[in-house]
Order: sequence, then C-alpha cells, then structure tokens
Amino acid sequence: MTTDRTALAAGTAPPRTRRRRRLTARRIFAASVPYGLILPVVGAIAAILGYPLYRLVRLSTQHYGLFELIRHKGQSIGLHNYGLILHDPVFWHTLLRTVVFTVANVALTMVLGTLLALLLTRLSTWVRLLLTSGLVLVWSMPVVVAVQVWDWMTNFENGIVNYVLTQLGVGDYFHHDWYATAFSQLSMTTALIVWGALPFVVITIYAGLSQVPHELVEAARSDGARAWQVFRDVTFPIVKPVLLILTSLSIIWDFGVFTQPYLLIGQAKIVPSNYLMGIYLFEEGYLKSDFGRGAAISILMLLIVALLSVVYVRRMVKLGDVR
Amino acid sequence: MRLRVVVAAAITVVLGIAAASASATSSRHQASGITVWLQVDAQSGWPDVVAAATQQFQKDHPGVNVNVQYQSWPDHLQKFDATLAGGNSPDVIEMGNTEMTKYMAAGAFAALQKSSFENSGTWLKGLAASGTFGGKTYGVPYYAGSRLVTYRTDLFKKAGIAKVPASLAEYTADARKLLAHNTKKGFSPVYIAGEDWYVGMSFVFDYGGSIAKTYKGKWIGTLDTPRSLAGLAAFKRFFDAASRASKTTLETRPNPYDVYAQGQAASMVGPGWFSCCVGKFKAQTAQFVMPSHTKGQPMPGFLGGSDLAVPAPSSNKSLAADWVKDFTDTTSEKALQAKGNIPNATNLLGTSINERAAARSWFVPTAKHWVDVENGNILRNMLAQILTGKLTIKQAASSAGDNIASVLNQA
Repeated sequence: MTTDRTALAAGTAPPRTRRRRRLTARRIFAASVPYGLILPVVGAIAAILGYPLYRLVRLSTQHYGLFELIRHKGQSIGLHNYGLILHDPVFWHTLLRTVVFTVANVALTMVLGTLLALLLTRLSTWVRLLLTSGLVLVWSMPVVVAVQVWDWMTNFENGIVNYVLTQLGVGDYFHHDWYATAFSQLSMTTALIVWGALPFVVITIYAGLSQVPHELVEAARSDGARAWQVFRDVTFPIVKPVLLILTSLSIIWDFGVFTQPYLLIGQAKIVPSNYLMGIYLFEEGYLKSDFGRGAAISILMLLIVALLSVVYVRRMVKLGDVR
Repeated sequence: MRLRVVVAAAITVVLGIAAASASATSSRHQASGITVWLQVDAQSGWPDVVAAATQQFQKDHPGVNVNVQYQSWPDHLQKFDATLAGGNSPDVIEMGNTEMTKYMAAGAFAALQKSSFENSGTWLKGLAASGTFGGKTYGVPYYAGSRLVTYRTDLFKKAGIAKVPASLAEYTADARKLLAHNTKKGFSPVYIAGEDWYVGMSFVFDYGGSIAKTYKGKWIGTLDTPRSLAGLAAFKRFFDAASRASKTTLETRPNPYDVYAQGQAASMVGPGWFSCCVGKFKAQTAQFVMPSHTKGQPMPGFLGGSDLAVPAPSSNKSLAADWVKDFTDTTSEKALQAKGNIPNATNLLGTSINERAAARSWFVPTAKHWVDVENGNILRNMLAQILTGKLTIKQAASSAGDNIASVLNQA
C-alpha cells in the first residue's frame, strides 16, 4: 500500500512554513473562493441525498400507515418501530439469510470475474473481442427483461433448460420445478445476479490487469515462480485496489437486492422463509402499508451495509500493510 | 466580490428551479381528462365494453379524455399507495372485493351516491357489501365471476365419457380414463396449479370447513378443524390423481389456459372467462360446474368480484362517478354478461352456467387485514407444503391457521 500512502501525502496541502500574513479583504475573498465553488455541489448533495435521508429518519420514528398516508401526516412514536423490528424473529432470520446470500453472491462474482478477466488477457484479439461483446450484451440487458428470459428458460411446463438437460442425459428434468424450495429459489436468483454482475466486474478487473507491468511478471517467472505464485505475489497486489472497490460495491448491491428475487421468485411465492432484506423491507413496509416500519428497516439496512463494508475495507487495507 | 455575488445568484437559481419543479409535480392535475385504472382482465377479455362505455361518457362530456390504464393484480395496490402519497392518484380504480375494506377504513375513497347508479337497488349482496363501510357506499359493484371447469369435449368423448361428472368421485374416475387415453408425458386430465388456493379452499368449503371464524371478538384459524382437514385431504387426493401441474406453482405461472391451448390438458378449473383463450380448441371447448363430493351438487366456488371506487384525492370526482355510471349501466353489464361474467345486479342474472355456479359459493373472511393474508401467501404456502408432503396436512393446516389468526387480529 506504499503507493497509496505517497499519493495520499501528495494530495494534502504542504505544511505552512511562511509567516502569518495580515488578513485583508482580498485575501479573505481568495480563501473563500474554493468554498464558494464547492457550495453548489454541497447544496445539491444536501438537497438530493441529505434531505430525503432526513425525511426517512423522521418517517422511521412515526406510525405511518395508509390512514396517515392519505392525510400526509404521521404520528410520532419515537423508536417504537425499531423495537418492533429488533424483536421480530423474522428480521434476524432474514438478516442471517441475506448475509449468507450476499457472501455467496459476492464470492462467486469476484472469483468468476477474476478468472474470466485473466482468461481475457490470454485470448487472441478476435476471441477477446467476441467475449467482450458478449459481456457487454449481458451488461446492457435490462434486469426485468433478463428475469423474463430466465423465467422462460426455466419454465416448469416447457423450459429450454429442462429440455436441454434432459436431452444431454444429465437426468430427467421434464417437469422439474426450479423454484420449488427456498434454497432453489435463492440459488436461481444467485445465478441470475452473478450472471448479470459479471460483465462489469470482468471488464473492470481486465482494465486493472493491464496495469500489471510485463517485466515484473517475466522477472517473477524467470525466478521460477509458478502461475499461482505470480498471481498471488505480483498480479494480485497491483489489482487489489480494483478488487477492493468491486467487492465493496458488490456487497452493497447484493445485500440490498430486490428486483431479481422479487420478479424471479414472484410475489405470490414470497413467504418469510425465502425473504431477503430488500424483500422483507418491501413486504413489511409496502405490502402491509406500514411505511414507518419500512423506513426503520431501511435505516437498519443502511447501517448494516455500512458496517459490513467498513469491516471488509479495513481488513483489506490491513492485509496490504503487512505485505 | 462580484464573483461571490455571481455564485450566490447561481445557487439561488439552482435551488429555485429545484423547488419550482418539486411543487410543479404535485399540482399536476388536468381537468380535461380522467384516469381510470382497470385490471388486465378487461384488457384481455372485454376491451370493447370499456370502449363503448367511454364513448357513451364522451357523448355527455365532449372533450373530456378518458385515459384507461391497465394494471395487474399483484402490484396494483402498491402503485395505488404510491399515487396516494404523491397526490396523483387515478380518478377511478378497480378494486378486488377482498381488497376494499382496508382502504375504506383508511378513508382512501370518496363516498358515492348509491341511488345514482343504475340497478343499485338490486346489486348482488356480496358485492354491494364489499363496497360499503360505515353505512356509506364507496365501491360500485362492477362484476362477479364464478369458477368453472373448462374442458375438451373431443377428449372426453374419446375417453368414453358420455356426460359431465355429477360428483367428485365421478370426476376422479373420468380423470383416470382421460389419463389412459392420453399418454403424452406431462398431460393433465384436470389442470390445477398446486398453489391455486381458490381451488384448494373450494374443497375445504365443500366438506363444510372454513378458513377463519370470529370467536369472542377475536379471529381464530379453522383450517385444522376435522371438516377443513377432510377438504384438504380430498384436494390432495384429487390433485394427485388428476393434475400434472407443478405442486409449487401458481395459477398464473403458467396460465392454465396456455397449458390447455397447447393440448396438455383435458380440462382446467378457473374463472369462467378461461374459455376465451383456448387457441385452436375453441370449437371443442365447453364448460361445466365443478361437482361436489355430494352427488348432484356443485362444489362451492370462490365468488370473486370487482368494485369500482373513486379515490379521495381525485379532483374530478363527479366526472369519475359519471364514467362509473356508464360502465356499470344495464348496457355495459349485459355486455359483460355476454363475455361470461356475472352481472352486478340480481335483476340482470340469467340462467347461464356461471350464474348457476354462483348459486353455491364461498367468500373470504370479511376482516380488515384479510388482504394481508392474501399478500402473505399463507394459503398458497400451505397447499404447497401439503402437496409436496413437506408437512402433514394437519401440521401445515394448523401452522397456516395460527398465521392467519395473528394477521387478522392485528390492531
């Protein structure tokens, strides 16, 4: 992490060694220009992020149901919503399930993404172009369309996946229900999410890999390092910042995921035993028209994701220090 | 100094625009039109009836646009909630009869003058009750629908079935015959989705059971009473004998009529309008009333239905009510009847098979939180547990019953 350190140091202002000068109007003005210039951005962020967040926090301390929604006026009840949620066993089960789900999704995304990116560096130009275009096509497909296509492919009555697996002799997949149990429902969702997340991860890691100097790899090889050692000791440290960012982003996306499970599993098949946090929030907040509780759940989710990310980022940075 | 002034002015302008656009969206209401939310059933089944009502409406109100937007059952309430919060709710909304109470209790709808609607004196009792709260009318009955068996006459004949079954036992025997004559893999003599709770509960009611009852002011689940359990057991037996549908899927995924249209089913249980969408088998398709386990009687079917309501925030309430009048008058209701629906008033009732099926029907518990039971998929989950054998019938039923009671007894 030494490179990062120097970059950080270069970014901070050099220590002031000159003697104190008199304050003049001109100087005050000069000093305030940067603040003036940044003010619109601060204002915009406060308006589009800060204010909604404030409203969300306020909503989470209110009893706000359908009755209050129509009158646009909630009823303040302090932290009662939080108490209800933290005493709800469904919340804890859902949290555990979502953490496992997130770990599985992020791990699969990152491992497959890294492998595909490494593969990309070894392909001939036109095969690489072919693979990259494939990835971009996946990336450009809207989630809702993708869910529909997956749903068709894995349809109980005449899904193409069932047909192909049966024809290949893998087993009898005729009338196989891919969404029969909570585990299979969430596994299908994982497959869809990882598939959809790969292009961004692969292309970004591939870009990161192009920063690895050839000489270093060759030097390591001529010193007798094997492929795995080259990756671990040369490639990985250089692309680590990229992996760090991608993993954090993936955690944030996968922990709060809603569209894929909601559409793929389908509202009429969603029950507490297959809830993910995003779904739990939707069921408690929207379906039951208890918007205050929904707001409280989303605040809790925000805190949990922040916690997960901080723990992870700290670990990764520490790991770098040792090296 | 000038620069700061410029910056300050720029910020003011930016914030001003933001504020202006925020206030502009909340007052976006045009008097030149009304927005109507109907369910997709109307779009696929009777778009011409909708168009005719709108035409009639525009004769009386020239220049008023009617923007009909079709919604789907699973998510129309969330969309509606969002519009209530945003202040841009539709002027007319179709509500399922099981969905009305929660919204009427919250004051989401405008009270309507009952007598101004045609045939309001003879509205179907069950439907009229679902649109009444505290003595006021908030929902105008739109139509009711009973559930029927839609079947392939050619396949029944080929299997040597001379007349439609008069009892559940006969229907089960027929299913075996049909299966023997149609050996194609995955073929269903009677297509029923495993989680189709409308069919499942019909068996429960047929055996004298029920879903929940009030006792001393509290709801208690009654799915684990001996009669309800007998009904659930009969459902499992019939399903195992007759349906090759997934035990863990719903009646919309896939649509039963799509399976039927592909030649993969000899019959299916569902709303009467299922006969609309049978593809190339139109000429070989007929319907009968689902038979009870008691010979000669119909099995009680779910009496579904819809009401039309005018949301309270609408700024065109009288125009909205006028459109509802045109859409529920005798002409429109007769047209709906011709499409296989049950009209909203007793004086319009005919002797069609639908209307005969409606003679024995069941309805969900009339509780404010019933809609949460439906949305929570408690009954669907129970049926899947029973059919897959994950739980015994008794275990699944008593756990579902407890769940239902706790949802219905919420404050």
